Amino acid sequence: MLENYFPILLLLAVALATAVVMMAGSFLVGPKRNYAEKVAQYECGFAPLSRVRLPFDVRFYLLSILFVVFDIEAAFLFPWAVAFKDIGLTGLVEMLLFLMVLLVGYAYIWKKGALEWE
Amino acid sequence: MAVQLPEMNLVLLSPEILLSLVAMGLLLMSAWSGKESRGLIGTMALSGIVLAAVVLAGLSSATPSATMGGHFIDDRLARAMKWLLLIATALPLLMSREYLNQHGLDSGEYYVLTITSLIGAMAMVSAGSFLLLYLGLELMSLSIYVLAAYQRDQLQSTEAGLKYFILGSLASGILLYGTSLVYGATGTTLFTAVANAIKTAEHVSPVLVLGAVLVIIGISFKVAAAPFHMWAPDVYEGAPTSVTAFIAVMPKVAAFTAFFRVLLEAFSALHVHWAPMLQLLAVLTLAVGSLGAIAQSNIKRLLAYSSIGHVGFLLIGLTTGSQLGHQSVVFYLANYIFMSVGAFCLVLVLNRQGIGDQISDYAGLAKKRPLLAFLMSMFMFSMAGIPPLAGFIAKLYVLMAAVKAGLLTLAVISVIFAAIGAFYYLRIVKIIYFDVAEQPFDMEVSLSHQIVLAISALIVLVVGIFPGKLLDWSLASVQSLL
Amino acid sequence: MSKYLLIVLAPLFGSMIAGFFGRLLGNRLASLVTIAGMSVSALLAIITFFEIAVGNGDPVRQEVWSWIVSGEFRVSFGLLIDRLTAVMLIVVSGISTLIHIYSMGYMAEDPDQPRFFSYLSLFTFAMLMLVTGDSFLQLFFGWEGVGLASYLLIGFWFKKESACNAAIKAFLVNRVGDFGFALGIFTIYQVFHTLDYATVFRMAGTGQYPQTVDFLFWGPVHTMTLICLLLFIGAMGKSAQFILHTWLPDAMEGPTPVSALIHAATMVTAGVFMVCRASPLFELSETALTVVTVIGAITAFFAATVGLVQNDIKRVIAYSTCSQLGYMFFAAGVSAYSAAIFHLMTHAFFKALLFLSAGAVIHSMHHEQDMRKMGGLRKKIPITYTVMMIGTLALTGFPFLAGFYSKDAILEAAYAAHSTAGTFAWTLGMIGAVLTTFYSFRLIFMTFHGRPADHHSYDHAHESPWVMLGPLMVLAVGALFAGMLGESMTHLGWFKSAIFLAPGHDAMEHAHHVSAWVKWSPFLMFLIGLGMAWLLYVRMPELPGIIAGHYRATHRFLLNAWYFDRLYDRLFVQPAKLIGEGLWLTGDAKIVDGCVNGVANLCQRWAEQLRSLQTGYVYHYAFAMLIGVLVLMSLYT
Repeated sequence: MLENYFPILLLLAVALATAVVMMAGSFLVGPKRNYAEKVAQYECGFAPLSRVRLPFDVRFYLLSILFVVFDIEAAFLFPWAVAFKDIGLTGLVEMLLFLMVLLVGYAYIWKKGALEWE
Repeated sequence: MAVQLPEMNLVLLSPEILLSLVAMGLLLMSAWSGKESRGLIGTMALSGIVLAAVVLAGLSSATPSATMGGHFIDDRLARAMKWLLLIATALPLLMSREYLNQHGLDSGEYYVLTITSLIGAMAMVSAGSFLLLYLGLELMSLSIYVLAAYQRDQLQSTEAGLKYFILGSLASGILLYGTSLVYGATGTTLFTAVANAIKTAEHVSPVLVLGAVLVIIGISFKVAAAPFHMWAPDVYEGAPTSVTAFIAVMPKVAAFTAFFRVLLEAFSALHVHWAPMLQLLAVLTLAVGSLGAIAQSNIKRLLAYSSIGHVGFLLIGLTTGSQLGHQSVVFYLANYIFMSVGAFCLVLVLNRQGIGDQISDYAGLAKKRPLLAFLMSMFMFSMAGIPPLAGFIAKLYVLMAAVKAGLLTLAVISVIFAAIGAFYYLRIVKIIYFDVAEQPFDMEVSLSHQIVLAISALIVLVVGIFPGKLLDWSLASVQSLL
Repeated sequence: MSKYLLIVLAPLFGSMIAGFFGRLLGNRLASLVTIAGMSVSALLAIITFFEIAVGNGDPVRQEVWSWIVSGEFRVSFGLLIDRLTAVMLIVVSGISTLIHIYSMGYMAEDPDQPRFFSYLSLFTFAMLMLVTGDSFLQLFFGWEGVGLASYLLIGFWFKKESACNAAIKAFLVNRVGDFGFALGIFTIYQVFHTLDYATVFRMAGTGQYPQTVDFLFWGPVHTMTLICLLLFIGAMGKSAQFILHTWLPDAMEGPTPVSALIHAATMVTAGVFMVCRASPLFELSETALTVVTVIGAITAFFAATVGLVQNDIKRVIAYSTCSQLGYMFFAAGVSAYSAAIFHLMTHAFFKALLFLSAGAVIHSMHHEQDMRKMGGLRKKIPITYTVMMIGTLALTGFPFLAGFYSKDAILEAAYAAHSTAGTFAWTLGMIGAVLTTFYSFRLIFMTFHGRPADHHSYDHAHESPWVMLGPLMVLAVGALFAGMLGESMTHLGWFKSAIFLAPGHDAMEHAHHVSAWVKWSPFLMFLIGLGMAWLLYVRMPELPGIIAGHYRATHRFLLNAWYFDRLYDRLFVQPAKLIGEGLWLTGDAKIVDGCVNGVANLCQRWAEQLRSLQTGYVYHYAFAMLIGVLVLMSLYT
């Protein structure tokens, strides 16, 4: 059972080694001459107007969560669509139920105004 | 190629289906209807729970059966625990409505979230696989995280919700990781199949044991067993009191059932591995529960530590691995619901008039409101395990199980911690009866509070004197295990 | 609810109503409620008596409810009503009802009547529980219940220091007995694995038990002897038998109706009842029976001698009770259980009568209890005098009154037992009979005859109200006829299965065939006692003083009840106090308090440390969790 995972372990090791080698190489070999402009944040060539670590508007989070929810809906729909012929009517009903549940939530957020930016 | 779909006996799921429909309906209702119908939503939520209870009672007698390809189990344990879950949801909900009203929390979503967490818990107790267990756990937990943060304008409440969420997610991650390890080692998530795989394997693979340990840790977080308890005092204190009453009881019932399922149905062959671990957890939990409470001045924090102490006892019952032990766990849980709900109900009653959550605020309650003082003392005495109250029988059975299983050291330790624990319960009684009153205590006790108090007090007293029926019921519910 | 259950529960209901709502109901209503409860109980008890005892009905066994049933562990409450119980039922319910009624008059001026009646009914409930139980557990339950009620009622006037002390004394002495009793029950459970009468007796009868057991540090001892002696220690405490008798005279501090009901008619007979109920066990141990006989005989004699010189009217009757209980015990000891129960019944009537009459005297003398301050009262309170005379005659065994039948039956049985212990008991019993007559008539003569000693109280003496006299008359009728009517009880096999006799234990059978002189000698004793009393207290009233002066030491010895109280004081009370004080000052204050406070401080410190771990930062919590995960992972995988 476990030996099936060996390639993955190998892959992990190779990936890790590659990253370490590359970073260590540039750290060891590359020249280090720092001055103010060089370490400054890069912002399309002009001086930064404000700090980079701005708090995002909370509405982005809301939107992204909604996106994730419907993204997952899609993730479910694909395998269902692939297997649709095999699972037949039962599968159809089940998926419709699932969509209905999502629809209730969708109606709720719509009514609550979560989809409007202002 | 036609795929053979697993048979689906939806009748067995009817309480859950019903509650889901109620939750969805209420969600839409709370979005579309105005403020005036909030009371209606609360009533409907309660009726929904009662209806689910009726449906549950109407299900034909439980011959252990599984559906959904073995992912959903319907047996005596599941039925019994669902009853406890319904009670542990309905009573806090019943007593919270005025509190919610006064604090402006009674929007429909509160009820929806309560019901969804109930559905999650019910899924947990019926879980036949790690998959459904995890799904139920997440549904329950996510709903409760939101409930804990429900008082959005209060810093404490949001902080509580956030803490609970972050630490809970961590625990969920651990649980999921453990599950994946178990799947990796056995190739299945079904409890029975896992058990079979362990039995047929020549040797126990360390990966499996690691997975089991992580799964147990994940569930331990949910019951607030030390050292995974640290969220509990902060969350109990910060969350609205009505939510605290709810999360003090309901998730524990679900999580302990999950323990039953996982430990006895999936990992029963690993008893030698998990029993010592649970014993260690039990001792730590007892220590934290009884010592931690001593230094508390806030009643909700104190009750948080008190519940941790109770969890310690429950864990002892669990580690025995004997039928008596399992019986004692179910019995303890049933009594714990009523003791805890009763105590929180009194906190709610006394809290309403702007008296803070401090224990010292209860000084001299006995002189002004002798009945309330008596009830509070009764719940405290029961929690401390003083006869002839229910808490005594519960502790007695746990100890009996521990002694019979040969866990003498554990029993002695638990008695010592119970004695230390008795100190802080008695301290409350002392403050109530012997300190000078500073508060007027002129609050009225509403009908719903009267009902909840009467039920809890009656159960605590009657079960303490006539424990026979409940003991039988507990025994019957665990008979399908092992 | 079956009527048998109602017999037991009706007093409880009355007690609860009077106790919880006493202030609401007021004195009159509270007493009436309890009387109503008692009347129901008494009425049903009479019906039951006619069904089971007179009408030859079969014993009734009912399971009332299961208290704890879980797995093999099972505790249930049930009723067992056979002829033994039926007799006890009528005695307890009947007399208790009369005393409730009497108390309405006696306690009329007391402000705490609801409490009094509540306790009285509670007592009755516990006593009924005791006699109807179908297991040793229930017996124990009732046993402790009556002990509690007795404690509460002795200390009813809790503002009086002597009453409080008496209550505590009664409680403590009973505790000694109860300790033995509880050990006995534990042993029964250990041996038979059940406390159910039927099962225990069946197994005992067929010998399905280990013949010897280990008890504490003693190696194998005879099982039955051990059980019976332990049980009997309980009976000695409850029934005030020699060695454990000291509480009974002091218990007279309680109101007189209490003395009549609890400390004469019912509770103190619980020990006798228990020995008879457990006859299937006692019959299997000759040693235990001998002990019962000897202790009973000594008590019968000892208490009678002390009764000779007491001056407090209630104390005389108290010692008389103690003595009569001794008679019952040695009857049981010679396997004449039926005679014991018969005497228990008749004694209940005439002793309750005597106590209540004494109460009426005290009532009419404005709570004066010293007989030396009475005298000549027969003209002032003729009805009381008449009924008290009936009671005295019944007690002393005047022909065809109650005591004549029952006491003679006991003495004949003791004689017919033809054993050393039996003969010993018979001899002491005979002497006791003389003494009984003497002190009884001494009481009558000092109180009712002669010249009034205190003219003031004599002039104010008055007959008691009818509510008190009524019960007296009913009891007087009982004292007159109970013996005649109940004599059939002593016939062999009347009690059916309720009493078990081992082969060879046929004292009762032979008792009916003893020669005439044995039958009539108690009457002779009566005449001697009466003559002496008449001589000393009527004919030559100055003589007792002279005799007492001459035999000063003996008089003081008797007056102080053989110095038992002082002995116990020296032997137990003072050392206990010393030890207690020592333990308190050094052991408790220094060592225990030191340890306890130390542990408490330690806990407090740990608690503070634990609290300081609880920082409130999420990352600390998460860190602690992960540490926990790592530790557990490394420990258990």
